[in-house]
Amino acid sequence: MPTIEVNYNDLLSLVGKHIPLDVLQEEGILYAKGEIEEIDGEMLKIDIKDTNRPDLWSAEGIARELQGRYGVKLGAPRYEVKHSDLVVEVDGKLKNIRPVTVCAVVKGLNVTPDALSQMIQLQEKVSVTFGKNRKEVAIGVYDYHKITPPIRFTAVKPDGIRFVPLEFEKEMTPAEILKKHPKGLEYAHLLKGMPRYPIFMDAAGEVLSLPPIINSDYTGKVTSATRDVFIECSGFDFRFLNPALNVIVSALADRGGTVESVKVAFPDKVMHTPDLKPKRARVDSDYANRMTGLKLSPKRLCELLGQARYDAKVKGRAIGLLYPAYRQDVMHQRDVIEDIIISYGYNKVKPVMKKLATTGSVREIEKLSDSVAEVMVGLGFQEILSYVLTNRNNLFNKMNAPPQDVVEIENFVSSNWSVFRNWLLPSLLDFMSRNKHREFPQPIFEIGDAVTLDKSRETRTKDIRNMAAASCGNKVGYEYMASVLDALMSSLGLEYELVKAQHPSFIPGRTAQIRIKGKPAGIMGEIHPIVLNSWGLEKPAAALEIGLDGIL
Amino acid sequence: MRSLRPSGKHGNYRLTEEGLRYLKQGLPEVRLVRILKKPMPVDAVRKKVGNFNVALSWAKKNGWVRIDKGKIVLVKKAGDTGVQESLRKLHDGHATTEGELRILISRNLASKERQSLKKAMSLAGKEVTTLTPELIKTGLWRKTRLRPYDVKVTGEKLHPGKRQPYNRFLMQVRRKLVELGFKEMTGPIIETEFWNFDALFQAQNHPSRDWSQTYTLKNPKQGDLPGKKIVSQVQAAHENGWKTGSTGWGYKWDPVKAAQLMPRAHDTAISPRYLSGFSGKVEIPGKYFSLVRCFRPDVIDATHGVEFNQLGGIVIDKDLTLMDLFGLLKEFVQEITGLSEVRFRPDYFPFTEPSVEISAKHPEMGWMELAGAGIFRPELTEPLGVKEPVIAWGFGIDRLAMLRLNIKDIRELFSQNLEWLRESKVTI
Repeated sequence: MPTIEVNYNDLLSLVGKHIPLDVLQEEGILYAKGEIEEIDGEMLKIDIKDTNRPDLWSAEGIARELQGRYGVKLGAPRYEVKHSDLVVEVDGKLKNIRPVTVCAVVKGLNVTPDALSQMIQLQEKVSVTFGKNRKEVAIGVYDYHKITPPIRFTAVKPDGIRFVPLEFEKEMTPAEILKKHPKGLEYAHLLKGMPRYPIFMDAAGEVLSLPPIINSDYTGKVTSATRDVFIECSGFDFRFLNPALNVIVSALADRGGTVESVKVAFPDKVMHTPDLKPKRARVDSDYANRMTGLKLSPKRLCELLGQARYDAKVKGRAIGLLYPAYRQDVMHQRDVIEDIIISYGYNKVKPVMKKLATTGSVREIEKLSDSVAEVMVGLGFQEILSYVLTNRNNLFNKMNAPPQDVVEIENFVSSNWSVFRNWLLPSLLDFMSRNKHREFPQPIFEIGDAVTLDKSRETRTKDIRNMAAASCGNKVGYEYMASVLDALMSSLGLEYELVKAQHPSFIPGRTAQIRIKGKPAGIMGEIHPIVLNSWGLEKPAAALEIGLDGIL
Repeated sequence: MRSLRPSGKHGNYRLTEEGLRYLKQGLPEVRLVRILKKPMPVDAVRKKVGNFNVALSWAKKNGWVRIDKGKIVLVKKAGDTGVQESLRKLHDGHATTEGELRILISRNLASKERQSLKKAMSLAGKEVTTLTPELIKTGLWRKTRLRPYDVKVTGEKLHPGKRQPYNRFLMQVRRKLVELGFKEMTGPIIETEFWNFDALFQAQNHPSRDWSQTYTLKNPKQGDLPGKKIVSQVQAAHENGWKTGSTGWGYKWDPVKAAQLMPRAHDTAISPRYLSGFSGKVEIPGKYFSLVRCFRPDVIDATHGVEFNQLGGIVIDKDLTLMDLFGLLKEFVQEITGLSEVRFRPDYFPFTEPSVEISAKHPEMGWMELAGAGIFRPELTEPLGVKEPVIAWGFGIDRLAMLRLNIKDIRELFSQNLEWLRESKVTI
């Protein structure tokens, strides 16, 4: 969900019609799947919900939708691409580095402060959100007149060239930029381990940029004086690069720029980019009505589609469509149908209460959990709720238990929450360790999930539902817990057996395995003083934990 | 501790705790004899019979057993010594003979209560604080004056056992869903990317699959993909749209990536499992919900917890439309929140098209985004073998809970503050 800043007056001038701010806020912005989050003078902070529509992430893109819905311009916007002689030669050495680029030239721009800030913002949002933080798409915009054609996209050794990066004053090698320039530091991982780095340079040997890191200060700086620009998008896959280029170029064309093509010469093929010809699609009007429940005539559908910036023509039961090249999200007629409903207005769709003959139910384990909780509450225990995530220290060290294999997170945010618990008791002791200043005794319980490893299963893990109870206080001991267990078991109508057991978290001789129908079902005992010490607990504690899955 | 039961002629005698226990469980010597089917080592019997020493001594005295080479040998079956009957008589307040009583006293199964009676009598005409059983039984209370208390004094602070407030809220939500005809579904906490993403038609290089937004696992790493048919259909949907009329994402789908394991990042991971028949054939019409813990690597603050719960589900029927989706959502939001004014806005989810956001007007908070929903994309449902339209919806249940519990910091939903839990109200 990219958040963008747009100047209200700039937006209106792009639309070509006055839309009162409250109308824009309550209705207009919805046409671009947006929400105005903040208004600061003329500046609007807008959250655009569609992460698959980079064309909407600028004032120009929002304006296109508003033009359609407020009747300023209908149908697919057309962009003319003039032929230019500019050539970009792509070096085969880029093969495993950053092999693909698509380029364009836009001339005759009037770079107002709003136009400039929109261009920079769009470039940023497209490369970060759509281009996966510059990995898939890096975008460079340059002053066309500072470039001596032809342009070469090539690869150089990390210290094989020197140029002044944007906002710097002295020449640096690419290797130095990665170590010293703020953008170099931020994006160095994208070039990590590569024998050569990608470089755009012109026929005069002037460096344009080191993608996906930084432009040069000389060619890669666009100001209000700039009239004509050269644009390149570099990456790996045309699926990302073409839409990205089209989005940027269309936005500049909407501000009055004239688009010219660039000949991109790859080792094995030649392409002329950008391709702004409208794309074709079709929608079946019966299918559309079946999905929406609205009974709209093909003619009405075409009207709504025109407002959504499609060229729409009735062809029998189907509607033939042309839509602008900056859109890359139309995969199925469903995508078109949503645009129809957006034009129609979501709040004009009448909700229908369809009665479906279904019977509700919860899982058996939830019912059992509820019954167990009822008894525990009746016994005076306070229910607590903990995270399933914990850490090895809590699970093993503090429990005086030998380390075991558990489900472990690789990219944890905090090591405090880096593994999945395989039983609940450590969570209860953690809780008690944080309440030493509260009144005792502290009978608490939790019914919750834990995750264990199980190689035989499709997910290599098994979720278990356990109930753990513990109490801490001067008079708390084994017998107390045994009474609690007895009360619980008899309330559940279960026969159980206690067998002498060993467990490093409990005091030897005061530890029992709980067996139900002859099978191990849990453990009970008095907490070992080593464990009390490691949690900083100063009063005796006893606990039990039973698996509920086996009881079902 | 003594029995408080009254009795008849020997009203000043009553059963001791031991006497009461034997009344309930039977005499230990009788229990001992009962388990003795063949000669057994003394130690073995000791483990099985409570009050073993008492049991053995009386069993020998009664001539029922003898000890031979460390084994207890049965001489004859236990006869009726009358002790059991005496216990019952004294307990029920029936007359007992002096002889019977003597045996009970000698075995410390009954004792006199003279002490307390004497004391009760001495209280006649006085003001008393404690109303004792003797005062009540003997009617001596009539001759005393019960001291009045300061009724405004609240006694010692008690902490009742209570459900965790957030959990209670979740239970109420579950109950409400059942009333609305929804069946609960569930899936594993550790899930394959296949069910978490691929089966939901999220392309393998989609930004929301990026490592920065979901957890990856160090252990275990790879799981299993489901049956070949579903896998190949999902693969085709991604690559070229399969038979759905879609263009697909146009890339080479990687089964190894799909088999990677990860902690479930959203509840929607569960729906495709059910649609594919994971838990038996999906009912049509069908309403299903899940209310599960989800995991994402957010930096923890007042609005991002370590873990969060999501409530979501699906509704499936032939010919479901957007109007039905809106109707269902409206009913739903009204039932769950009690708020009546709702509005719909366009939204985006990678797995639904069209997609909608639903908000409700709260008297103080104004419009609140509550749920996202939509109709599952055909590229999702058809490869799983589902032809009918499927409505999918999801609630930010944690936010709703915070509103209901009047909590400002999401971390408090999992509060480790015992005081807060003890003070929590059960009336939400």
